Amino acid sequence: MNRHSFISRNKRELSVALSYLVLLVLVALLAPTFFHPANLRDLAVNNASVLIVACGMTLVILTGEIDISVGSQFAICTYAAGLLAKSGLPLVVLILTVVLIGAVMGAVGGLLVARLGIPSIVATLALMVIWRDALRWGSEGAWIQGLPQNFQWFGLGQTYGEVLVVVAALIVFAAIAWSLHRLGAGRFFYAVGSDAEAARLAGIDSQFVKHNAFVIMGALTGLAALLNAIRFSIVPGNAGIGLELKAIAAVVVGGTAITGGRGTVTGTLIGVALLGTIGPALTFVGINSFWEKAIQGTIILAAVVSDVLMTRLSTRRQYRLAN
Amino acid sequence: MNSNTQLAPDLKLIAPWHLRAFPNREWILVVVLLFECAIFSLSGDNFLTRSNAFEITRLSVEVGLLALALTPVIITGGIDLSVGSMMGLSAVVLGSLWRDGHWPMSLAIFAVLVLGLIGGALNGLLIARIGLPPLIVTLGTFSLFRGIAEGLTRGIENYSGFPPNFLFLGQGYLGHLVPTQLVVLIVGIVICAWYLHRTAFGRTLYAIGQSPEGSRYAGIPVGRNLFAVYLSSGLAASISAVIYVAHLGQAKSDAGTGFELMAITAVVLGGASIFGGRGTVLGTVLGLFAIVVLQNGLRLSRQPAELAGILTGGLLLITLVLNRLATFAGGQSRVNTGAEELDVRNSQVAVLSGVILLAALVVAGSNWLLVRSIQHGPQNERPINSSSKSNHRIQVAMMPKAKGDPYFVSCRLGAEEAAKELGIDLLWDGPTDLDPAKQNEVVEAWITKGVDVIAVSVENQAGISTVLRKAREKGIKVLTWDADAERNARDFLINQATPQGIGYTLTDEAARILGNKGEFAVITASLSAANQNEWIKFIRARLAEKYPDLKLVTVQPSEGDRDRAFSETQTVLKVYPNVKLIMAIAAPAVPGAAEAVKQAGRTDVKVTGLSLPNMNKPYVKDGVVESIVLWNTTDLGYLTVYAAQALISGQLKQGDHELVAGRLGKIEVVDDEVRLGAPFIFNKENIDRFDF
Repeated sequence: MNRHSFISRNKRELSVALSYLVLLVLVALLAPTFFHPANLRDLAVNNASVLIVACGMTLVILTGEIDISVGSQFAICTYAAGLLAKSGLPLVVLILTVVLIGAVMGAVGGLLVARLGIPSIVATLALMVIWRDALRWGSEGAWIQGLPQNFQWFGLGQTYGEVLVVVAALIVFAAIAWSLHRLGAGRFFYAVGSDAEAARLAGIDSQFVKHNAFVIMGALTGLAALLNAIRFSIVPGNAGIGLELKAIAAVVVGGTAITGGRGTVTGTLIGVALLGTIGPALTFVGINSFWEKAIQGTIILAAVVSDVLMTRLSTRRQYRLAN
Repeated sequence: MNSNTQLAPDLKLIAPWHLRAFPNREWILVVVLLFECAIFSLSGDNFLTRSNAFEITRLSVEVGLLALALTPVIITGGIDLSVGSMMGLSAVVLGSLWRDGHWPMSLAIFAVLVLGLIGGALNGLLIARIGLPPLIVTLGTFSLFRGIAEGLTRGIENYSGFPPNFLFLGQGYLGHLVPTQLVVLIVGIVICAWYLHRTAFGRTLYAIGQSPEGSRYAGIPVGRNLFAVYLSSGLAASISAVIYVAHLGQAKSDAGTGFELMAITAVVLGGASIFGGRGTVLGTVLGLFAIVVLQNGLRLSRQPAELAGILTGGLLLITLVLNRLATFAGGQSRVNTGAEELDVRNSQVAVLSGVILLAALVVAGSNWLLVRSIQHGPQNERPINSSSKSNHRIQVAMMPKAKGDPYFVSCRLGAEEAAKELGIDLLWDGPTDLDPAKQNEVVEAWITKGVDVIAVSVENQAGISTVLRKAREKGIKVLTWDADAERNARDFLINQATPQGIGYTLTDEAARILGNKGEFAVITASLSAANQNEWIKFIRARLAEKYPDLKLVTVQPSEGDRDRAFSETQTVLKVYPNVKLIMAIAAPAVPGAAEAVKQAGRTDVKVTGLSLPNMNKPYVKDGVVESIVLWNTTDLGYLTVYAAQALISGQLKQGDHELVAGRLGKIEVVDDEVRLGAPFIFNKENIDRFDF
């Protein structure tokens, strides 16, 4: 049994990785230019902020909740980053403030869900509309221009700026991956998601853990918004449309159970890569982008169906072995 | 956990009347509704009229049917996010069967209903049979159904020209007052209420919602019943799509976008627990009307559309929190029995009284600001078609395609400038999102409100023309600006440039930059955007006619998102290395494409397209953006308001050849078009002279 432990422990991640590999092989056969270093670099930079948000989403989903207001939070944080940068705040203060704004918005969601016990899908649905419409009302769609020179790429220039964005995303990923498995506080997310009541009886403050998941999610969204905004020299009035679906889809495709208690950010990383590859790959292969949504939907369904079938298969085998 | 709210039969005998009538505290919503009506009858024009009451119901039928179908789904502890996408798929299938397949309408409708059942069966199979979480399954089919709809029509196809007896279903009146589709909604309510509250099947759904495992042990066929629930939700989506198509008079792949969220909001606002086991049809209906009345009332009170979203979200949260607090209070004492029954009820009554008070305060508070701002506003209430036009200021209602779009924000500046010069009341409102039905709702509200002129930048030609014709029948002058409706649906078009003019100018500009030969790519808005598709058609026509060596290699969507335009451009540059020009034809797409070209270091590639000067200034000065094609949008807004005033005062009528419009001077009028002039090309030399 020990020989199989790595495979059986990581079979969800491995199966997603396998499907990703198949996709890559297909693309390699049909459009080898896809693997040009410049393209891979662009893919990494474009998906860095999605990865950060999806990592945060993994935490929330692990506790058995969901946050569909992240797209709107992202828009507000982007806009706030633009406004603050224009007012000439020092860089460090700017970064901290934007992350803080995200964390506060996350805390509002956390308050409603963890403290007041409102179902997260409904609470964050309401927040999604409120944040987005509040921004529309406030900004009236205006873009922020005339940002200081050191806003784009934090003044580091494109090459270092791109490295910074990708490295920052990977650090966030690594930090969460490490703490989820090596820290007691990380295991709490699994405990709460598996059975909040049991976790409470075991001495874990379930509500506190859930609340924290939302706050971290918000802070990460703020960071992602900032890292996305600095890739450009102008800040749009309305960003992050559909980001929540992208993040949730990546988490689910990555093998995290929507009911909580099971999943890893490694799976999420592969999920982000998989979904981020499909769109450009279609263009490279020459398939019309009209079918992109249909293909994405099929992949999500295929991922969950195969997940369940695999679980059934393995439990049946265990059952046979036991008899 | 909420077992006290679902009355056991024996409890019925002793339950007081208010618990029997409102088993799930629905009366909170009645209070909210009454408050809304009270406030809006003060602040809104013609809010409390019989015709408005029926118009409100017309607008709520499509979402209402979805909400009714979602009520049992949510009661079982599930959710169905795919209903809006199913509407889109059903709409295009209906359109193509009827138009391209030459099926009779009745047969096409039947086929679409079967399609709805198939979609519902797919959801039901995955959820009830295989046991997947509903949230994920329907998230997948949410993308899948919409994706198939877009793939089938390539996003472009827009079916219209449906027979009148079909359109009657969505636009007609029974007895000159009752909208036809209201009958469908009422039938839906009755059937749903009957099945949910009066049959054994309905009771099993509550049991499943409380505990699927327990229900199985109690002998309930959980899988089969769940399957039936998702099946009916697919069916409801397709019925809703048929009514939607009849209502708008057009079928496109974007039908029903975002409807699932509105329907879920209505159900949850109506007191259904998303965890399952609790909820009533009465609650759903009241929740639906609480939202619809709020939106309608805000429009009639000339409040911005964004406020409706914020208040709806707020209302939802407050209802949930209060409900939660009430359950806590009730739940703690529920364990006790017998003697303390009275206490329970007293404490509940106390909590509920608190709830009303709070709800009242919230509604009153949020509306107090409204009323105040309106009372301080310049206009007063007035009847429709008032004969004494000299006494009041002219009300011009102007609608952009999308409110947050920077293009329309700059139009608004000009419109407000003109309104100030002429002493006109300008109402500026429109959709905040991509829901194609929204424009109709706003025009309906303006008709009820009784404005003098309605000026619309049309998103969906076939869809909005019926309602504009209705406005003209009521004596309201109708203008279209920016994009036209059907000709007999408006008095004049304020024409900044024809689609042909735009397409040709863009192509000529591309030919100039590329020296008449080479490859270029187009970044459009969304693949189903009507305007952009029209322009692309003329771009292709111009290429065929005049530039044989110029080649359009690909069209990619940006969804009106700068960041998406950025990544699409990056991909295009790599896949098509011979592309030397990116033509972006949506305002946010040009800066996105420009940034991508700049970061790729491709100095040999230029960007052109349709956008606003301000957001492109840095790129034009860098030389990345060679030029942008546009008219002066501020002048367009300015001219529209002047034309509206001239139309009311009789200075502008059929057969005129010119119109004097303030600072713009004399403007050419041809037939029923007021022409702003040819599209303008902004480049490095002249762009600094413009600020919009």
